[in-house]
Amino acid sequence: MIALLTGMLTTAVLAGGVLALAALGEVLAERVGVTNLGVEGLMSMGAVVAIITVVATPHPWLGLLAATLTGAAGGMIFAFATVIVRANQVLCGLAVTFLGLGLSATIGHDYAGIPSPVTFGRTPIPLLSAIPIVGPAFFGQNVLVYLIYLLLPAAATQLLFHTRHGLNLRAVGENPAAADAAGIPVASIRFWYVTLGAALAGAAGGYLTLAYVPVWSEGLVAGRGWIALALVIFAGYRPFAATCSGLLFGLITALAYVGQARNWPIAPAFLNMLPYLGTMAFIIVPVVVWHRMRRIMAAPAALGVPYHRNVR
Amino acid sequence: MATRLQRLPTISPARRLAWRAGAILAALLVTTLFLAASGRDPRLLADLVVRSTVGSRFGLEDLALFMTPLMLTGAAVTITSRIGIWNIGAEGQFYAGAIGAAAIGLFLPGPAIVILPLMALAGILCGMGWILIPTLARAYAGVNEIITTLLLNFVAALLTSYLAVGPWHDRVTGALASTGRLPVQIPEFWGAVHWGFPLALAIVLALALLMARTGWGYQVTISGANDQAARYAGIPVRARIIAVMLASGGLAALAGVFELAGTVHRLQGGLANNFGYFGIVVAVLARGSCLNVLPAALLMAFILDSGIVLQTQQLTASTVLAITGLVLFLIALGDELAHYRPVAPRAEPTP
Repeated sequence: MIALLTGMLTTAVLAGGVLALAALGEVLAERVGVTNLGVEGLMSMGAVVAIITVVATPHPWLGLLAATLTGAAGGMIFAFATVIVRANQVLCGLAVTFLGLGLSATIGHDYAGIPSPVTFGRTPIPLLSAIPIVGPAFFGQNVLVYLIYLLLPAAATQLLFHTRHGLNLRAVGENPAAADAAGIPVASIRFWYVTLGAALAGAAGGYLTLAYVPVWSEGLVAGRGWIALALVIFAGYRPFAATCSGLLFGLITALAYVGQARNWPIAPAFLNMLPYLGTMAFIIVPVVVWHRMRRIMAAPAALGVPYHRNVR
Repeated sequence: MATRLQRLPTISPARRLAWRAGAILAALLVTTLFLAASGRDPRLLADLVVRSTVGSRFGLEDLALFMTPLMLTGAAVTITSRIGIWNIGAEGQFYAGAIGAAAIGLFLPGPAIVILPLMALAGILCGMGWILIPTLARAYAGVNEIITTLLLNFVAALLTSYLAVGPWHDRVTGALASTGRLPVQIPEFWGAVHWGFPLALAIVLALALLMARTGWGYQVTISGANDQAARYAGIPVRARIIAVMLASGGLAALAGVFELAGTVHRLQGGLANNFGYFGIVVAVLARGSCLNVLPAALLMAFILDSGIVLQTQQLTASTVLAITGLVLFLIALGDELAHYRPVAPRAEPTP
């Protein structure tokens, strides 16, 4: 029983990391008022570039860096279209997803099925990892897990809610016209945070192939990008909440694994539906049960609306 | 002094069309360069694409077959976009429709004239059922519909392949991952083109009339443009949202019924072939007008049809998806760039 719980929680933390990282990136983009629906494609590109890099130079950090830079490059293209030219965000996001899924499968064709030669190994934290159940799951993981669950959300929370710059960037997402009038450079803030968010999506793809499922195949991302987008809403656009919801989702994934491993009398297809149905329940149930949640969890007011100075 | 750009709030359709043509040409150019770089002769491929799409009988038939589901999924997304809602779940509703229709078609014996309408009805009801939860969540709790409709796509795809591989799998020929051939099918009237094509065309035209010429359509448009003003004017916005979303689910499901009963004739995983997602592309290209869905669906069908040709030339389906993404992206850019025009720099007053 203990072994089962430990294994489940360990899988949950590992699986949730992908979503937590991508969701954190999207929190940043959406906080400045841009919906990036391209996460799925960016993750896919990150995943394949990470594999190609580590096959060439067996160094996981280089792979992760390449994945992050790929995400950033894709994000810059997306941000150029949506922030500078102010093209339709939904359309551009879908275009990035199509491009990313298609291009990654094309360039990854020769790498399909090759296990990544290096992965991020475990670096257990002494003492803490000896705690039963929780220890191995939270403190016996690879370095990225600690980064994703602690360092990055802490940094993002600090930035968003405890600095003047964070106030400015939230203002850009809530009321770009007012921010502009106050002298905040709306376009450049949007551009760089969308790029940063996309870089994290690329990194999430890299994490996927370097730490979680260490082999590339077409369709590897399997909707995780879209789930990350949903988690952002569920988390009410908050970094730590996004991380926690990633973990919660990881638990559902782990449950599906356990079900399959133990031959529960449920078809695998239904177990595989759990994450999607669970995510839906996550974003519907809270607002239905607690009406106050709707205001607390509200999206940035200018989310998805391009800002034109001359038609304000 | 540098030339300044001025943004025009509204532009003529001709101007937009010109920019879109430019965007498509640019996408073509990039694709050509890519093909040339990978060692293929672009001129040979272009010749092949033209000959096997609009240049031959079979090509035109395929074009119509691709266009049929695209018109319906495109219309499904278009009508919700009129009320300010994005139904990203047309793919799932497509599967739901196909499942509903397959249930009738596979297990209810009878003459085609009775079974086909029943299949359509069951399919539409399943599609409406599939979008019901996102609809209620959106109408009563304000839950973002983009995500809820989208997540159900994955569930529907899983359910379809479960049924096709599991309980409904073909026991006669033992074909893997699909059900047996449906005993009834939509009759064909021109080569492989079945009556679903003119029906879909008629449905889109009827929707265009409904949206542009009736009070109901006007109320939907007003609710989408400014819901508070609409409420103040006494329009039941919530009822309109529910009706439009359910209709959207039904339309996408009907696309699934036509694809199942007219083209593929069996339920299998991957049946939706991204038609639901491409429906979003069609809707965005159509810019909220049901009439524009027709040329937009034609363009999308042409891209998909060309994609099939490219696949025969050892280009994978993923390459085609990437090309589609590129076309979409450049059109999105072109649509916005069309709004800008350079204006002569203001003359500096000379001292």
